[in-house]
Amino acid sequence: MNPSSGPLVDDTLRKLAQEEAAAMARELGDIRAVVIATGDGFEIASSVRGDIEAERIAALASSIAAIGAVVSTEAKLGTSTGIMVMTDRGFAVVHAATHRGMDLVIHVIAGADALLAQVNYRVAAAARALSAA
Amino acid sequence: MREHKILFTGSMGAGKTTAIASVSEVTPVMTDVANTDMASAKATTTVGFDFGLLSLDNGDRLRLFGTPGQTRFDFLWKILAQNALGIVILVDASRADPVGDLQLYVDGFAEQLRRVPCVVGVGRLGAAGAARLDALAAYLGERGFAIPVVEADVRRRDDVLLLIDTLLAQIEADMLGVQ
Repeated sequence: MNPSSGPLVDDTLRKLAQEEAAAMARELGDIRAVVIATGDGFEIASSVRGDIEAERIAALASSIAAIGAVVSTEAKLGTSTGIMVMTDRGFAVVHAATHRGMDLVIHVIAGADALLAQVNYRVAAAARALSAA
Repeated sequence: MREHKILFTGSMGAGKTTAIASVSEVTPVMTDVANTDMASAKATTTVGFDFGLLSLDNGDRLRLFGTPGQTRFDFLWKILAQNALGIVILVDASRADPVGDLQLYVDGFAEQLRRVPCVVGVGRLGAAGAARLDALAAYLGERGFAIPVVEADVRRRDDVLLLIDTLLAQIEADMLGVQ
């Protein structure tokens, strides 16, 4: 079986992504994980707590984003920019981003004490920062 | 009218998305994104699922689901396999280790394969065709599975229909108690 070798990610992106992931985890309350991944599910940067596996979160994020894109297309709602998963103990946000033509996904997993609007605002800012670099 | 679910799985590039597109009566749902994996030359890869529909002569309808091939998406394999009537495993014989590829999906769907029928469709056989089919069949035999292994070019509608017919024949035989 041919193993995956992963993406070619430039150092600028990786460094910026790691800075953004760490900043989001630090600035926002009750954050369990921040993972920034390629559109096809490879982890680029992460800040995680506990036994959360960043690699699996990266793959999850890309699947969720892709399904969101299909929903947007089928519903004729334009381009999907993000998905939210609401649970009884918190929520997860998946947000689309790009960097020099490469599609990215930002995945934030938060506990019940996190503020959804604050997370959405900060994630959108991170997406803009990645796109502008 | 009854609806049944058929699952297509197999390694990246084996043709799952193509197979469903070959037979679907509706524009398939696809979740293909740009591929960044340097180990593969494919431009795109499925990261969610494929979906298509196919009507049978008796009025029943098949819902065709395709999985992502990479193991990092194996969480989706279990979800997509739920309530599947049968599983089609596609193998690309031009890859370095087709038997190893097949093993991945036999292991990944081991629980389902105890309960539902399966067919293995093999593409890109090339000159060593029969020998490669035999090797795959021999592997399945060693694992205790009686799963048909057939050559299939999933770009051809008739080949994909043959895979589906092979599955349905097994289902019918099980219903009739034929061994």
